[in-house]
Amino acid sequence: MLLALRRLFGWEPSAATEEADERDWRQHKWVILPTRLGFFARVEEIWRYRRILWFFAIQRVKDRYEGTTLGPFWLFARPLMPIFISTLVFGRLLNVPSDGVPYFLFYLAGSSCWRIFERSMLWVTQSLEAAKGLIKKVYFPRIIAPIASVAPAVTEFGILFTLLVLVCLWYWIKDGHFYLRVGGGMLVGVVAVILTCIFAVAVGLWTSVLQVRHKDVRYSVRYVNQFWNYATPVIYPMSQVPAKYHFLMYLNPMAPLVEMYKWGMLGIGNFPAKELASALVIISIVFGAGLVFFNRSEAASVDKL
Amino acid sequence: MDSLVVEDLGKCYLLGRVGEKRQTSTFRERLESGDGEDSDAREFWALREVSFRVQPGTILGIIGANGAGKTTLLKILARVIMPTTGRVVGVGRVVSLLELGAGFDPDLPADENILMNAAMLGIAKHEALRRMPEIFEFAGVERFEGTPLKHYSSGMYLRLAFSVAINMKPQILLADEILAVGDQVFQDKCLQRIEEGARDGLTVLFVSHDMEAIMRVCNRVMWINAGRIVKTGEPEAVVDAYQNAMWSQADASRTERGRRANRFAEVVAIRLVSSNGRDIGGAPISEDVYVKVRLNILKTHCKVRCALDVNTRGQLLFRSSDSKVHALGDPGLYDIFAKIPANLLAESTYTLTVSCIMTRHDEPQEYPLVAYNALTFMAYATEEAAPPVAGRLHKTGLIAPRLEWTLKAVEVDAARA
Repeated sequence: MLLALRRLFGWEPSAATEEADERDWRQHKWVILPTRLGFFARVEEIWRYRRILWFFAIQRVKDRYEGTTLGPFWLFARPLMPIFISTLVFGRLLNVPSDGVPYFLFYLAGSSCWRIFERSMLWVTQSLEAAKGLIKKVYFPRIIAPIASVAPAVTEFGILFTLLVLVCLWYWIKDGHFYLRVGGGMLVGVVAVILTCIFAVAVGLWTSVLQVRHKDVRYSVRYVNQFWNYATPVIYPMSQVPAKYHFLMYLNPMAPLVEMYKWGMLGIGNFPAKELASALVIISIVFGAGLVFFNRSEAASVDKL
Repeated sequence: MDSLVVEDLGKCYLLGRVGEKRQTSTFRERLESGDGEDSDAREFWALREVSFRVQPGTILGIIGANGAGKTTLLKILARVIMPTTGRVVGVGRVVSLLELGAGFDPDLPADENILMNAAMLGIAKHEALRRMPEIFEFAGVERFEGTPLKHYSSGMYLRLAFSVAINMKPQILLADEILAVGDQVFQDKCLQRIEEGARDGLTVLFVSHDMEAIMRVCNRVMWINAGRIVKTGEPEAVVDAYQNAMWSQADASRTERGRRANRFAEVVAIRLVSSNGRDIGGAPISEDVYVKVRLNILKTHCKVRCALDVNTRGQLLFRSSDSKVHALGDPGLYDIFAKIPANLLAESTYTLTVSCIMTRHDEPQEYPLVAYNALTFMAYATEEAAPPVAGRLHKTGLIAPRLEWTLKAVEVDAARA
């Protein structure tokens, strides 16, 4: 699959496509106008620069995981520690219900999806600033920077999913019950993660541009995320939300996505069909408007970097 | 077909409160400014109504004083900034070397930076890997392949940047002051590669303050001043016009830098003339040329003795003074000539400073007249005396005197004895 991806992004193309591509670059007629590109021209341009998207994506992953001395230990320890603490506080002390699975597992599944969103969003927010040196010197479609920044989410998901499987195996040995839902349901979980990434980029399209103008956006994002976390059924199941507050679940796209992930991976809770429909609408709007916003403020942002 | 067409290009910056606009202005401020618009932001056109066309294979030199808009033009063409008016149509891959930076990430090692540049220019990874040894070899940084660029010296950085740019086989190369750093040997290597590329249809836009380099490689030159094109054409004509304008500006501030007049005389003009007395812009190396100093003598019984400082590439090459003291009888205009003999100068730019010592009667008091950097000219070869080293870019020294060479067969017996 990775090779297919690499082929697709033209990083290791076949000889024929490469030749055609090279000819295309040599003969490509470009125009610089004082106006912004239209939608289709923009899409075509991103395709033309797809190789740099791939390069940035790999680079961002490397940035994240290269150079740590304890390496693999950190990868698993960092997400695990807060889960242990939360399990202690919410699971043992406060006895928050957990849809019939051990609270530790419940919280691990919920926070996996949330963590992917939270971290991706932070990376995307900082993406333009991080690529500042390049952006001021050479041209590439700027939107590639935020999109590529979501790439480490793939490895993050890999780590969290491995953790989930390991914990399930541990409970299997301990309780004799294998909680993981092996089968097609997992695909639903994966779709939830993909939607989470898209939503992170959608929000990031706004925050990354704002971050260039107002350096405090990054801190506000962290701050807001803390509250957002509580507004999302991570530490509690959606079934525990009182009816009069249930409308909040429609407004927060992360709520159905987290539920969907838990339903897909562990088979707990209900599939949040109506909430998901609402989430899809919200994600589309945020993403679409984000694209327009990013496109409009691209040139001005570069002048301010 | 033109490889680059620029039409009515302009870039306007708002000076003053850029980006803050009306947010910070209070109601009262807005009242005072009248219409409530951001009138405190003044418009500044860094570039205005710039139109030109470039054919493939052209090396277009862009010259102009600091702040004339040269870099702005290049940045627009490199699509780093967006123009305010006009349009640009170009064909092919554009590689830009702006502010010596290229698209480098200082935290990444050289090889990764090359891959990144390749990716940005639509070149596949294996193709980039194939070109990599060549890139390192040209830049002369083979040993530092894995070193992050932040540890590179500015010279190494520049060499790598140029090497990457030229080896990406662009159709259009935008080069901003690429020769500002880097030693003479590397400069020559760069210029040679640019020339080679141009023969294969590469279009180069080359911004430089080094008129010598401009004259050497460019086949067209564009002079920009205050955001507008002043003159475009043959390198010699444009560079001459530009330098004349620069020197006439320099003349305006001459009172600070020298005394061109005193109580007894003033320097009216300093010109380069041919042996038949005609003004010339440049000096043909194979002919005698004269520096003509016109003095306006105001008093009777003056005596004058002149000296000439010849500078090139920022250093004093030699000073030569008149061995005689000329006695001048009546007031009036006098011309003093200094002959620069044929086959002395090299193909380079020379700047002259003229100084005169005035005395009167037999008074011991000396009155100096100094005209700093009064004249700048290029010396050029008329007959192409093919040098033993191939190519136009063989190394030239500061001067190129013609020495006498003789050949004499050595008799074997004599040698043994």
